[in-house]
Amino acid sequence: MKTKRLTELSLLTAAALIAFIIEMRLPDIRIPGVKLGLANIFTVYAVYRFSGKEVFLLLVTRIVLGSLFSSNFSAIIYSLAGGMLCLCGMLLLRKIISESYLWLCSIFGAILHNTGQIGAAVLMTGTPAVLAYYPYLLVSGCIAGLFTGLCAQFVVKRLLNFRKGKTE
Amino acid sequence: MTKGVKLAIAAAAVIFLGAIAAIIFLQRPAQGTWVEILQDNKVICTLDLSQEPDRTFRVEFPEGGWNEIRIENGTICISDADCPDHTCVRTGKLRSEDIPIVCLPHKLVIKYCAPPEES
Repeated sequence: MKTKRLTELSLLTAAALIAFIIEMRLPDIRIPGVKLGLANIFTVYAVYRFSGKEVFLLLVTRIVLGSLFSSNFSAIIYSLAGGMLCLCGMLLLRKIISESYLWLCSIFGAILHNTGQIGAAVLMTGTPAVLAYYPYLLVSGCIAGLFTGLCAQFVVKRLLNFRKGKTE
Repeated sequence: MTKGVKLAIAAAAVIFLGAIAAIIFLQRPAQGTWVEILQDNKVICTLDLSQEPDRTFRVEFPEGGWNEIRIENGTICISDADCPDHTCVRTGKLRSEDIPIVCLPHKLVIKYCAPPEES
């Protein structure tokens, strides 16, 4: 891996972690698992900029460090299950969905993330009753995915302008 | 807009609307008064909320940890716990027939159930 790529990836991971920590400070909603997922902005962006292996490294680093920072290590299984399913889905979808529809890819990422989380929760507790939360997670996931996707879309647009030498 | 993108938008819309429909369907208020407490998917106790006196008791998790369950005026909630996320406490009182109170770290579930057969 070239030094420049490595630096870019580390910078993205750091930025994603900052977003994750800011989000921890937001008041949370009563339904478990419902989150804005600000850190996902950087994952979606990275999916369209880096290879699968590189995004994988970014995501795993972010999840492991994130759960250390939030001192909620028991949640790491759910984050990893959701994150990996989300990543696989988005890596496949980037072949079908072009960069100008990045927000759409992000929505599917969020849906898959919630699916992975609920799947892990059902397996871990052996309690199918947890599935009752799935529709709530899907609705919130679609909205949060759209939001983070649009954020990433803006970042891509700005960076393209920046590379062309335009300033806004 | 390519065909793939159109299909993807349609799929996302279907999932979104389907989930909203499922939520409306799940918003059934509680019918019965019997609840069961499950740990690791095994029923540890069954209670008739209309008969239970107001009280608070602890459920211990074998691998360490506890949840404090409070029964008050025919309602049940987890009032305190030593799990890291406290999601179960924030869920509040058990209201819906279909949505249980869940504590994932302690594998604890509280939900409405059918009244047991008279014996």
